[in-house]
Amino acid sequence: MSLKKYDGLQSEIYVPITPQPVWAPVKKELKDMKIGIATAAGVHLKSDKRFNLAGDTTYREIPWDTKAEDLMVSHGGYDNSDVNKDINCMFPIDRLRELAKAGFIKGLAPVEYGFMGGGGDIEAFTDKTGPEIAKKLKAEDVDAVIMTAG
Amino acid sequence: MQRAIESVGIPTILIAALPPVVRQNGTPRATAPRVPMGANAGEPHNVEMQTGIVKDTLKQLEILDSPGKIVPLPYEYIAKV
Repeated sequence: MSLKKYDGLQSEIYVPITPQPVWAPVKKELKDMKIGIATAAGVHLKSDKRFNLAGDTTYREIPWDTKAEDLMVSHGGYDNSDVNKDINCMFPIDRLRELAKAGFIKGLAPVEYGFMGGGGDIEAFTDKTGPEIAKKLKAEDVDAVIMTAG
Repeated sequence: MQRAIESVGIPTILIAALPPVVRQNGTPRATAPRVPMGANAGEPHNVEMQTGIVKDTLKQLEILDSPGKIVPLPYEYIAKV
């Protein structure tokens, strides 16, 4: 049977495209891992510049030993009320420090990262912000990263 | 972001409140407790729940062996809106 073929013919129905898989294998046990946090929840130091709620592709660095009460959120894309009560809802830094103390993980990455996800200039996140943060985590020999987003 | 970090060879795992969204964005590894967006790591000041979510999420780093899996976690928090 031969089928008639039309070049460039597309369905009118939107078909979402899932990107190609990426995969970095885990090579160590948790107890030997230095874990970083990266959150799209708009977390940053109170002393830092707030994110532009209309759209912002910059990121903020958060030292691992920052006190929870010195952190805040600026993010226009979700209800901030829970995270304003307790930053650990989106940025579980106290929980990770406890797990490090208990020996469940080896420790935290020296610097954690906050940015404002939920859309905006996806190209800038993909081509600039993402690779920049990734490069810094790599330079600090971070073994794995826990994230909150979506 | 998760994909960018993963591409330099650092494994990542994401705690998602909206699993269909992270699936669509091509997450390599994720967990999904039953939580609202904004409390992905659990109810405010509920240390037990937050510890459980973070611990079970990290454990999946050692368990998951192929990309794209989203593991449901048995924790539930319903925000009073």
